[in-house]
Amino acid sequence: MKAYFVLQFKILNRKLIAFGLPLLIGYPLLLVVFIGVSVYIFSRTPYAVYIYTALALISVLKLSAQDRNDFLNTIFNKKQYRIIREIENFGLVFPFVCFLTYKQEFLMLLPISVGAIIISFIKFNTGFYLTIPTPFGKRPFEFTRGFRKGYLVFPLAYFLTFMAITVDNFNLGVFAIGLITVVTLTFYSRPEDEYYVWSFRLSAKAFLMQKIKTGIRYLTGLNLPILIALSIFFYDQMIVIILFNLLCYVYLITIIVAKYADYPKEMNLPHMVLIIMSVLFPPILAGIIPWFYAKAIKKLNIYIQ
Amino acid sequence: MIYIKELSKNYGKKQVLKDINVSFEKGKVYGIVGQNGAGKTTLFRCIADLESFKGSITSNFDILKNHLGLLWTNPYLMDKITGKEYIQLLANARQVKLDNIEDKNIFDLPLDQYASSYSTGMKKKLALTAILIQKNDCFILDEPFNGVDIQGNIMIIELINKLKELGKTILISSHIFSTLATTCDEIHLLKEGTFVKSVLKDDFDQLETAMKTFSIGDKIDKMEIV
Repeated sequence: MKAYFVLQFKILNRKLIAFGLPLLIGYPLLLVVFIGVSVYIFSRTPYAVYIYTALALISVLKLSAQDRNDFLNTIFNKKQYRIIREIENFGLVFPFVCFLTYKQEFLMLLPISVGAIIISFIKFNTGFYLTIPTPFGKRPFEFTRGFRKGYLVFPLAYFLTFMAITVDNFNLGVFAIGLITVVTLTFYSRPEDEYYVWSFRLSAKAFLMQKIKTGIRYLTGLNLPILIALSIFFYDQMIVIILFNLLCYVYLITIIVAKYADYPKEMNLPHMVLIIMSVLFPPILAGIIPWFYAKAIKKLNIYIQ
Repeated sequence: MIYIKELSKNYGKKQVLKDINVSFEKGKVYGIVGQNGAGKTTLFRCIADLESFKGSITSNFDILKNHLGLLWTNPYLMDKITGKEYIQLLANARQVKLDNIEDKNIFDLPLDQYASSYSTGMKKKLALTAILIQKNDCFILDEPFNGVDIQGNIMIIELINKLKELGKTILISSHIFSTLATTCDEIHLLKEGTFVKSVLKDDFDQLETAMKTFSIGDKIDKMEIV
């Protein structure tokens, strides 16, 4: 059992190193990010304590996946398995418990602790496969998968647009476009297996162009109802709508070229930092897009010609 | 034709392939056999240009990989992608127009279900269907029979025969000698990164006997199983 936790610790260390973070920086950084996000949540909403509790419990749900639990069951006896599951779940909610204690929100400590223990008894069957229809089946895969994973966001964004029109709040409508765009950017967050790149009978340049064209076409499709609605009801803000939408395309292009700039590895930390900086100061995109593009071409040339 | 000359591959200090010289002709089926770790998959990855190597691999095509259908032992299938979308993705990759997909579903796969929910054999059948639809000229089939049901295996053997008739070049690796004996024209035995024996169809029995002697020897007797 000790060996199992030592192994988990080693895996976490390796993930941090692979992410480009030396351990001496990685762990303190994780702590700082956790505290920063916690402080932010509590500073933004009076319902923070409930959101925080929900976040804590959601974070342990992943540990209840059937595959990993079946695996643990096969290598440990029942008593060891129970101890491992409870230590894992409680270990994961422990930082949340500490922060709630610091905030003197003692009332929620019980639901978190009990919830974590109850979840340790549950196994989620990830083999539940109801095929969600998608309009993006002709050009798999980013939007096809992404739509199925985050399909609830799209009705929410359309509802926000409806609200924006109802309460005459243009910014809310722009937020809805931003929301859909940010969600679609996450579709490109993980690199695909090299086989999917290798299979293409295209040059690296043509491959990237095809990815960008497909991305823009599908993003436009998702944003179109909002763009039309805002253009009709906020006609005087047409220029802002067009410019914001163009900016969304630019970020989509950035994320696509950034994804392949470090392929087949996941996007590294310096690249992520650059993208975050570009959100704060968009003009630097003029420099980083060509740089990512050149790197992506170099990486893709290994797989396709 | 695929021509391999003085192919060598190292992973760090470990030499995985040593001075391989071989050619694979059109309309022929070649079996590559060898123990786990003998270098079969590395050889396939080199042919597919997925690895850097010393030596040369040339073919009749400008870029061999654009005419190559690759079936891995464990095809990697993304989550939240249906069987149909997987086929569509691979057809798009080679600019092949896809129509009447149901007619091409020769293994009767549930194409509207997520491919990641398929069993091992179904995944292999799906990946094979996709590379067939790509209309490739050369095929590398790494363990095509492994995990596939008996009906599926019969179908795969027939498909290989059909591809051969059509003049395709096919390389197969398998640990099931009988399937290789049925399908191959020539078998190459790979040992510690080099071809130690190459035999034509007439001598397959001899190869099987030699492999048995080499693999088993007196190891079972030494186990002293009672």
